[in-house]
Amino acid sequence: MNRKREIYSVELSGTKDIEKTDKEDGKKSRGLKNKCLERKKNHQKEELKKELDLHDHKLSKEELETKYSTNIITGLSSAQAAELLAQHGPNSLTPPKETSEIIKFLKQMVGGFSILLWIGAILCWIAYGIQYSNDHASSLDNVYLGSVLALVVILTGVFAYYQEAKSTNIMSSFRKMIPQQALVIRDSEKKTIPADQLVVGDIVEIKGGDRVPADVRILSTQGCKVDNSSVTGESEPQARSCEFTHESPLETKNIAFFSTTCLEGTATGMVINTGDRTIIGQIASLASGVKDLKTPIAIEIEHFVHIVAGVAVSIGVIFFIIAVSMKYYVLDSIIFLIGIIVANVPEGLLATVTVTLSLTAKRMAKKNCLVKNLEAVETLGSTSIICSDKTGTLTQNRMTVAHLWFDHQIFVADTSENQSNQVFDQSSATWASLSRIITLCNRAEFRPGQESVPIMKKIVVGDASETALLKFSEVMLGNVMDIRKRNRKVAEIPFNSTNKFQLSIHETEDPDDKRFLVVMKGAPERVLEKCSTIMVNGQEQPLDRSTAEAFHTAYMELGGIGERVLGFCHLYLPTDEFPETYSFDVDAMNFPTSNFCFVGLLSMIDPPRSTVPDAVTKCRSAGIKVIMVTGDHPITAKAIAKSVGIISANSETVEDIAKRLNLPVEQVNKQDAKAAVVTGMELKDMSPEQLDELLANHSEIVFARTSPQQKLIIVEGCQRQDAVVAVTGDGVNDSPALKKADIGIAMGIAGSDAAKNAADMVLLDDNFASIVTGVEEGRLIFDNLKKTIAYTLTKNIAELCPFLIYIIAGLPLPIGTITILFIDLGTDIIPSIALAYEKAESDIMNRKPRHKKKDRLVNAPLALYSYLHIGLMQALGAFVTYFTVYAQQGFLPSAILHLRVEWENDNVNDLEDSYGQEWTRFQRKYLEWTGYTAFFVSIMIQQIADLIIRKTRRNSIFQQGLFRNKVIWVGIASQIIIALILSYGLGTIQALNFTMLRLVG
Amino acid sequence: MTKTDKKSFNQSLAEWKLFIYNRTTGEFGRTAKSWGLILLFYLVFYGFLAALFSFTMWAMLQTLNDEVPKYRDQIPSPGLMVFPKPVSALDFSFSLSDAESYQGYIDDLKKFLKPYGLEEQKNLTDCTNGTFFEQKGPEYTACQFPLALLEACSGVDDPTFGYQEGKPCILVKMNRIIGLKPQGEPRIDCTGKSESTAFLSTYPSNGTIDLKYFPYYGKKLHGNYLQPLVAVQVGFGSDADVREVMVECKIDGSPNLKTQNDRDKFLGRVAFKITMHA
Repeated sequence: MNRKREIYSVELSGTKDIEKTDKEDGKKSRGLKNKCLERKKNHQKEELKKELDLHDHKLSKEELETKYSTNIITGLSSAQAAELLAQHGPNSLTPPKETSEIIKFLKQMVGGFSILLWIGAILCWIAYGIQYSNDHASSLDNVYLGSVLALVVILTGVFAYYQEAKSTNIMSSFRKMIPQQALVIRDSEKKTIPADQLVVGDIVEIKGGDRVPADVRILSTQGCKVDNSSVTGESEPQARSCEFTHESPLETKNIAFFSTTCLEGTATGMVINTGDRTIIGQIASLASGVKDLKTPIAIEIEHFVHIVAGVAVSIGVIFFIIAVSMKYYVLDSIIFLIGIIVANVPEGLLATVTVTLSLTAKRMAKKNCLVKNLEAVETLGSTSIICSDKTGTLTQNRMTVAHLWFDHQIFVADTSENQSNQVFDQSSATWASLSRIITLCNRAEFRPGQESVPIMKKIVVGDASETALLKFSEVMLGNVMDIRKRNRKVAEIPFNSTNKFQLSIHETEDPDDKRFLVVMKGAPERVLEKCSTIMVNGQEQPLDRSTAEAFHTAYMELGGIGERVLGFCHLYLPTDEFPETYSFDVDAMNFPTSNFCFVGLLSMIDPPRSTVPDAVTKCRSAGIKVIMVTGDHPITAKAIAKSVGIISANSETVEDIAKRLNLPVEQVNKQDAKAAVVTGMELKDMSPEQLDELLANHSEIVFARTSPQQKLIIVEGCQRQDAVVAVTGDGVNDSPALKKADIGIAMGIAGSDAAKNAADMVLLDDNFASIVTGVEEGRLIFDNLKKTIAYTLTKNIAELCPFLIYIIAGLPLPIGTITILFIDLGTDIIPSIALAYEKAESDIMNRKPRHKKKDRLVNAPLALYSYLHIGLMQALGAFVTYFTVYAQQGFLPSAILHLRVEWENDNVNDLEDSYGQEWTRFQRKYLEWTGYTAFFVSIMIQQIADLIIRKTRRNSIFQQGLFRNKVIWVGIASQIIIALILSYGLGTIQALNFTMLRLVG
Repeated sequence: MTKTDKKSFNQSLAEWKLFIYNRTTGEFGRTAKSWGLILLFYLVFYGFLAALFSFTMWAMLQTLNDEVPKYRDQIPSPGLMVFPKPVSALDFSFSLSDAESYQGYIDDLKKFLKPYGLEEQKNLTDCTNGTFFEQKGPEYTACQFPLALLEACSGVDDPTFGYQEGKPCILVKMNRIIGLKPQGEPRIDCTGKSESTAFLSTYPSNGTIDLKYFPYYGKKLHGNYLQPLVAVQVGFGSDADVREVMVECKIDGSPNLKTQNDRDKFLGRVAFKITMHA
């Protein structure tokens, strides 16, 4: 026992070593965000792929039994299993490490402008501390201000945290899975246990439809096929057997991988790896090692915060120095500094941005784009390259009949999602025969109990081609099951890879016709071999050279556009040789299998979704390059690419040009080719420079036969072009590429959990067209954020000027710090969110994606326009109001110049105004607050005008429409209501510094 | 900082340098023409803004009256203030033996009482006691306030206003407010607060403020207006150890002159402290 475990631990250490290097590497890259290292890491990932330390497939059953100290017949004992479970942990993937909630919360507390405001708050309290030590009766204003600032930071922090948490919650609820069960033999009994309780050495049984619960070494099978696409990218079902067929554990047939699906048949196997130690587990844990990139919008916001904070701090410091050199007390200068910082920092903006993003996220969720990371909402808008999967995203992910060939003619079948519009000529008698063969020579069946489900959505038991044919005939002929019942099947040879055909013998539905009908379908060339005649317009004709040639032309044509072609033929057995009572023996083949009558060809393809061509065109006109990356065959890939417009109708690849000009491929000028189809093999031999060149020189690229690892290389190549790259994917091994991409988009239906975990966005309907909607929303949000920021920045000047003039010209303070906060966080919030509802200005999808380094969110024109044009006008307007309030109460503008010292002196209680009246300190203070309120209302009203200005950036306000965005008016109403409440409702609360303004006269 | 970041930082620095002054083209970021146009734009734009601002200010000032402010709602009731003006807080502190320590107060009082000199009051009207002195204009005159009313604190008999004798005088005045008409018979009532033996005398007796000094018509019309004063003289018992007193004065006898406001400690009242050292 002891010895055996030793063997196992040796086995384990292989993977441990890899994990260790990975961890070390993780540490390094955390310390040094060096691209070089990252690349090395990716390199290691490739190596890991090759060095998978798994030898169990080479061992015999007996060796396995000894190695895992188990028994194939009786399984593990419960005690053993419990012990192993305790030792290795449950059989589940460790979810990616999430930042702890407290860290997330604290990040919100210190991110953005929060640091500045914290500094402001602390300075306030320090200032009060100094004042208090000098004079115990000093006013509490600074304490209030400090507390308000702290409150602002905490509230906005809590708010942003809540918003984030909410959007994360949507995701986690989505992620919830039904716990998986596994059928396991333990203590000689078959038991059903939760899959995460499995341990190595367990003997499990798998049947069609199950997910493989762990990495399993197959011990015995019956026609077992698995879908390995999530591990290796092969889309074809892979047969499993107990023979060791390949050195590589990934290629050998006797291992089934964790999380792959068993499509049909049954198998018994021994669990050899569980949880994170499975192949999938290792790939998934590597994906979590790929560093998250900062989203473009995060970079933009950081850039914006830097600009504003830079302006705030530098103006603050300059005026601090000016104030000190003007012989103000240092304490006063500190208070000026706080005022300047508060005036300059748009406190509410980051919260507004969060709300705006989450509004868009909600809107996108309605359109089937689920956004995991709020900031990813915008990323899609700046995307310049989309690397799209083929299967499922661009195509419908189901085989569909696309073309038919009979009567020497090719007919086109409807491949749209519901196939309802079949227009080809169905009057020919040949079609009647062909349709009968299609219907009868088919083993697929609808799962019972789906009468009310539309045909296309019915679940079918059978492989992809047979399903396609079943649905096709159901659409064309009606109740297939009924037809089959009427034409009773008497014998059948199923399809196998050596015969390459499928044959069945039926009684006919015609009660007068006692002949048996033999129907056959299969690889066209094999079917043709068995035919001596061909049916044309319902008449059998001898199969001569010219008809054979016509067949070949049609076959090549359909094959050439990447379609899977099947041939159909039939034969009526003469009644004299095969009477009604004849017993057919499939093994002895006591019936003819030659001299059939060839009826027609039929070709199938996984057709593009009907919305995709339009979506690709939209991407094109929006300046987004769509690259197809698929594991599929280049011919199929190219055909689909052509049909959806990824390769446009008139562009050629190098090979096409070579073919047209009859030149060897090497002689063609590569610059002439707009399109390129590159296979994984070619990609493997390319240097990064060659890849760059390829990406730069061709506008239409298809990567075929690529491994998921190469997807990562392609993504990195695109990112080297300074592109913002979106990647779609569904498989587990797409997850590194999804993570690496600027925005990873996982498929909601076909996607694996690992892919969804790694992605930033999930397409609930797996539909490429949803991406285009996302792009549109992303661009709109970027435009609208610009508007919001411009709107918010404008008033900063109007808030800042009072302090500067107060310091320099000694006017009584026009607006207080707390009042400023009421603008930033009160009246301005709803209008700035309302701008997010602004409709797109016409050309949104007709311009190029923004360049992530050139088209900034906040650029010089925006800042200058906000600060120096509109902002200054606002400041002047507010000052007029301020001077009016003072002049009407008795202090003419000339009188208040340089009045500051006396004005603020608590011992001067008989300050004379321009009319000879004398004011106590409190009366002056009250007048000052009235000034604050007036200044506040003035800014508020000008912000209403500003809001209407900001509705558009390019169009005129009349083009955009004043009333199309109703939320704007809600915003305006909210501004007025909040101002009224502040002035008239809270005018009595001293700390808020609001007074009731006179309404009229 | 990683290598790539550093590079980009240097690059951006270089770009900035190039922007500020481009050696090859001899340009400061833009062509001279471009700079010129920008300058012109801002000149015109700001010129226009300045004109607009000036015009609105001018228009606003046109709506005002020279004689009376448009609104007087913020000072419905006058504050009280004392003279001499203390340097910091309302805390008069001096030393009896040191004439220098109270010289400032004396100077301040003298300066304050200068408009009340006989010569200055020569042209003023001798109004009827006990009634408002309402005028219709166009000429407005002021009522006389004979210094004699302040008796010992008038500075006539004792140019040191009692400071030399240890009986310091403090003048209390009511803030001027245009159009204010006190109801009843306003007087200023002063009381000593601390448990000191100090005794207070007010002049005119009882601290009466005569109604004839109201209403006030504003600086422009009523330039020579003299506001009524009340003097408080503080005397300390000779045997008192603590020569310190907290005095609170407030308006009494007039219901429309408010004296109780938690937030305004000077509305209709004033409190001050006198500390006298030997």
